[in-house]
Amino acid sequence: MQVTLTPKKAFKVPVEAEAIKPDNFAGKGKSEIESIALWHGNKEVKLGSLFDVKVEGVDKEGAKIVIEGDASRIKRIGEGMTSGEITINGNVDMHCGAMMSGGKVIVKGDADAWAGREMRGGELVVEGNAGNYLGAGYWGVEKGMRGGVIRVKGDAGDYVGGHMGGGEIIVKGSAGLLPGLNMSGGKIIIEGDVTLPGGEMKNGMIVIKGKVLEMLPSFRFEGTEIIDSLKLKKFTGDLTRGGSGTLYVNIIPEE
Amino acid sequence: MTITDVLCPFCGALCDDVVVEVENNKIVEVKEACEMGVSKMMGHERITTPMIRESGELKETTYEDAVDKTAEILVNSIRPLIYGWSSTTCEAHKKGIELAEEMGAVIDNTASVCHGPSILAIQNVGLPSCTLGQIKNRADLIIYWGSNQAEAHPRHMSRYTSFPRGFFSEEGRKGKKVVVVDVRKTTTVEVADEFIQVAPGEDYPVLSALRAILAGEEDIVPSCVGGVSKERLIELVEKMKDARFGVIFFGLGLTHTRGRHNNVVNAISLVRELNAHTKFVIMPMRGHYNVTGFNQVCTWETGFPFAVDFSRGQPWYNPGETSAVDILNRKECDSALIVASDPAAHFPRKSVEHLAKIPLIQIDPYPNPTMELADVVIPSAIAGVEVEGTAYRMDKVPIRLRKVIEPNHLSDEEILGRILDKVRERRGE
Amino acid sequence: MELLIKNGVVYDPLNEICGEKMDICVKDDKIVSKVKSPKVIDADGKLVMPGGVDIHAHIAGGKINAGRLLRPEDGRKGTEPRGKLTRACTGYSVPNTYATGYRYAKMGYTFVMEPATPPLLARHTHEELIDTPILDNAILALLDNNWMTMEYVKSGETKKLAAYVAWMIKAVKAYGVKIVNPGGDEAWGWGKNVNIDDSVPNFDVTPRDIIGSLAEANEMLNLPHSIHIHCNDLGHPGNYETTLKSFDVIKGRSNKNRQVMHATHVQFHSYGGSSWKDFESKVDEIAKYVNVKKHVTIDMGQVMLGDTTTMTADGPLEYGLHTITGRKWTNLDVELETGGGITPFLYSSKVAVNTIQWAIGLELALLIKDPWKIVLTTDHPNGAPFITYPIVISLLMSRQKREEVMANVHKAINKRAILPSIERELDWNDIAIMTRAAPARILGLDRYGKGHLGVGADADVAIYDVSPEEKEAKKIQSALLRAKYTIKGGEIVVKDGEIVAVPEGRTYWVNPEFDGKPTKDMLGDLTGKFEKYYSVNLANYPVQDAYLPHPIEIKTKV
Ligand code: SF4
Repeated sequence: MQVTLTPKKAFKVPVEAEAIKPDNFAGKGKSEIESIALWHGNKEVKLGSLFDVKVEGVDKEGAKIVIEGDASRIKRIGEGMTSGEITINGNVDMHCGAMMSGGKVIVKGDADAWAGREMRGGELVVEGNAGNYLGAGYWGVEKGMRGGVIRVKGDAGDYVGGHMGGGEIIVKGSAGLLPGLNMSGGKIIIEGDVTLPGGEMKNGMIVIKGKVLEMLPSFRFEGTEIIDSLKLKKFTGDLTRGGSGTLYVNIIPEE
Repeated sequence: MTITDVLCPFCGALCDDVVVEVENNKIVEVKEACEMGVSKMMGHERITTPMIRESGELKETTYEDAVDKTAEILVNSIRPLIYGWSSTTCEAHKKGIELAEEMGAVIDNTASVCHGPSILAIQNVGLPSCTLGQIKNRADLIIYWGSNQAEAHPRHMSRYTSFPRGFFSEEGRKGKKVVVVDVRKTTTVEVADEFIQVAPGEDYPVLSALRAILAGEEDIVPSCVGGVSKERLIELVEKMKDARFGVIFFGLGLTHTRGRHNNVVNAISLVRELNAHTKFVIMPMRGHYNVTGFNQVCTWETGFPFAVDFSRGQPWYNPGETSAVDILNRKECDSALIVASDPAAHFPRKSVEHLAKIPLIQIDPYPNPTMELADVVIPSAIAGVEVEGTAYRMDKVPIRLRKVIEPNHLSDEEILGRILDKVRERRGE
Repeated sequence: MELLIKNGVVYDPLNEICGEKMDICVKDDKIVSKVKSPKVIDADGKLVMPGGVDIHAHIAGGKINAGRLLRPEDGRKGTEPRGKLTRACTGYSVPNTYATGYRYAKMGYTFVMEPATPPLLARHTHEELIDTPILDNAILALLDNNWMTMEYVKSGETKKLAAYVAWMIKAVKAYGVKIVNPGGDEAWGWGKNVNIDDSVPNFDVTPRDIIGSLAEANEMLNLPHSIHIHCNDLGHPGNYETTLKSFDVIKGRSNKNRQVMHATHVQFHSYGGSSWKDFESKVDEIAKYVNVKKHVTIDMGQVMLGDTTTMTADGPLEYGLHTITGRKWTNLDVELETGGGITPFLYSSKVAVNTIQWAIGLELALLIKDPWKIVLTTDHPNGAPFITYPIVISLLMSRQKREEVMANVHKAINKRAILPSIERELDWNDIAIMTRAAPARILGLDRYGKGHLGVGADADVAIYDVSPEEKEAKKIQSALLRAKYTIKGGEIVVKDGEIVAVPEGRTYWVNPEFDGKPTKDMLGDLTGKFEKYYSVNLANYPVQDAYLPHPIEIKTKV
């Protein structure tokens, strides 16, 4: 079953749409889907009033949702999804795929902040760039992302994988400040450049294949190792608090 | 008439020893307060009457019409922003939060552009802290980090930290060491024993280095971190460990530079770890006199300290998304109500541009740049001078603001109450 | 307004009514003997009890708010939108004030004591209580680590101490005297701690001296409640000895109306062993003592397995807990008075110590024979949030329920706890005592219309839709979590588990009369303390009347 949603207009006030997930659509017909409640600002509205809905096939399971057009003002798409697939043919707003535990989300454009926040499983692919707090935790939580995979083809913003406890984040481009903050498990691979990776890291692994523009002074150099056929420098830290995370870096600034 | 024990409604030091002379309902003299406090209490130009903008011009009107216009704007928007709060009473905060909840609005305070990052840091690691009297009586090492309180909180040092003689610090200033860490030589440095200059934006690595040294990993620390030599850092760590009671006060130099809340996390973590060696505490230098109060009230009423989005009935808290600057930068909100603050003067240009485009209501005693953009202007009485009520000092000590003269205007609380009534009326409740 | 609660099965232990089928009449805000044209509530076959009285729950003030601020991840649990009558709710272990009021009311509770307010921050506590709907309330003021207290204890000037206690209680609009780790918070001002016979650094007194002198002052002032103590050495293996020593400090004293010491959350103080490895229950020793002595009453401080937020005025304890877990930690020392700390904690069924802690609370309630001596609490939110009371009650009433839990926890419980050998099951009369009658009597509130349904009592009534014969734990829990009716001050506030009215609560405070020379001398000393050491002026210290919109003043005389 495939459901195609086309926004009727460009929204100024963002739409909150965690209800847009395959779990919620499976087995439903057009009118049922149109009557699903979403939030537009402080108004609860029907999905059908904001989107044109096209439904092809009816299956109980594995619904596929395609969003055509501009979703850059639609937050929380796929939040909490457990199965199925969502393709967004454009940009998407915050919290896309947050807390998802299964299924797959593909964003053809850019994803705004908190994509894959507190993810538990499944796969999130961002073909453009990702914003800040990619795969990060919510304020105050000790473990954010715990499972699943996030792939970003472009760049990512600051604080990639903050409080990560498991799973994997792969960024093809560069990332911003302090990726892997407070990480306690899982793996972050960034192919481009970053600044100050691994702050407060307790465990887990970060691999920076590009340049580290600035290194933290609290990591211990352990020697070199070959990872993905690259000769990388291995560090452990963050030793501010006896962390035993592993940080592989390629090029670091001279002291 | 002489009124004693008056609170100064200006900065977060919330001095409560001010003496005010009143003649014919006019303040003629203010004693004990610093210059900033005196100037606030002596008063300056006021908005005299409510105004509504018509064809580009602010036209005088009545409270009733201004309140009605406000309610109309709020009821017709689907993502109103209610912002400000740091220079008014907790009683007004409560009304504001009730209005936000009723409206399904986003409510935020100026913490969002000052110590919001500190709050996010506290949510990450906590805050080993104390009241200011504890510091006055015990501290022998006082560190000001990224905070020029000599200018921002002029009496902080004389009342609470470096200068007073306390129970365990009978020698006063002589028995205390004062260290300033900053990117430039501020006026605070003039009264300090030591100044450590950190390169701009390098606070996070410097703090990491201090913690690594404290953790016994000094061998891995490079010879220079963030412009500070390793020797200097080791010395500072020793000084901290040797203190009987140490304190770090930090300001916007830490919260609003590269790394933001994570700088604060790192500083708090350092203090936390110092407690394995000696007594150490840390405190944000909150700016406005009741910025802390809003965070307190908002926390007990909504569960969250600022940036609370009520659009879906239950609160959603996510600074970076639900904070005023972000909502404005993203052009999300379709109206704004500003109470007791001046975002047009303090927000980034992009935010102010959006403020200028949407229906904007301002409640304030004073004309300011925000008024120039406002569609409705409602003058209010000055909290702490013309209105009594609660304020929380930077260390969360609540004190009751005094009223020293009779107001000619409604209080923020009264105005908000009237707006709330009108909103309910318009929605047929 | 009149109500007739018809045919309920009434448990009203203070009036010795134990499961009798009878009617209760309400006129305005009081229980009366007859009504003329009442609204009738059919309570046929349902439990009818006085409104619940919580003797010790951290519901309002600086600590709980610092806990809320510390834990947005807890705040987002259990959020509920605004309703027609109700404000939005958030939080589980650190609920917002509205959630606190509604959730207690839904459980049939109508009075809660906020047990640990630093006097300097009392204004804050009262501000939160104003925003806590429905519940009547009161606060206890921390008066044990205060410099004034310790100086008078040292000089032996008990009259001046009494004058100070009287002045402070009146100034901060408190109900009674709270003691938390006496001397320990002053030591914590230097990062240290003390035990009962250690000398407090720089003050040359021992916690033992502080407890004894404050009890004497408390009795001298004839306060409705006794001293309310959180003993030294909380949470440490082997601390039961300190606990018994603390009880013993005032063993010779008595009061015809009540105990002379209420020791709180004794679960945290009943530990044996010399380390975490041989940590074990010593409830047998504690129960042996409490069972034969008259001067002390206690409350449970039950732990429930799960995540919560710990918060106490015991600064060093919270720091210690944080060093064990590595989790976030907030500390708030209050000048000249006290301290405080907060850290989240997970009581895990997989951890031996936590499992034994869970057992210890229940053991206290089951091994202490007289339910008038032990009140049901979780030391909210330290052992668990108050919202778990119905589960605690079902555990006390059902051995089978306890065994179900014990089968799924760390096996250490079989060797190092006593619970597996206990067969006793409490009945509804015991529960009514432990949740209403006893706390009201221990607080001295029975004389002011709380905790019973006799004529003239406050019309605070809980009606639960459960048969007195019901044995199934789940049914008991759900009936207790959502009362059929809660009546507060004669007004129906909960119906079918939902809030239907939101009156404002009233605050009880004590105005102890104590004048004369000791007071005059004390005021001289106090003025000096403010001039030299406090960071606020004396004139700005007392809590203004504006913070108690619905005060109930209780005057006491020497
Ligand atoms: S330091 Fe601050 S509170 Fe004190 S007088 Fe100056 S402006 Fe007012």
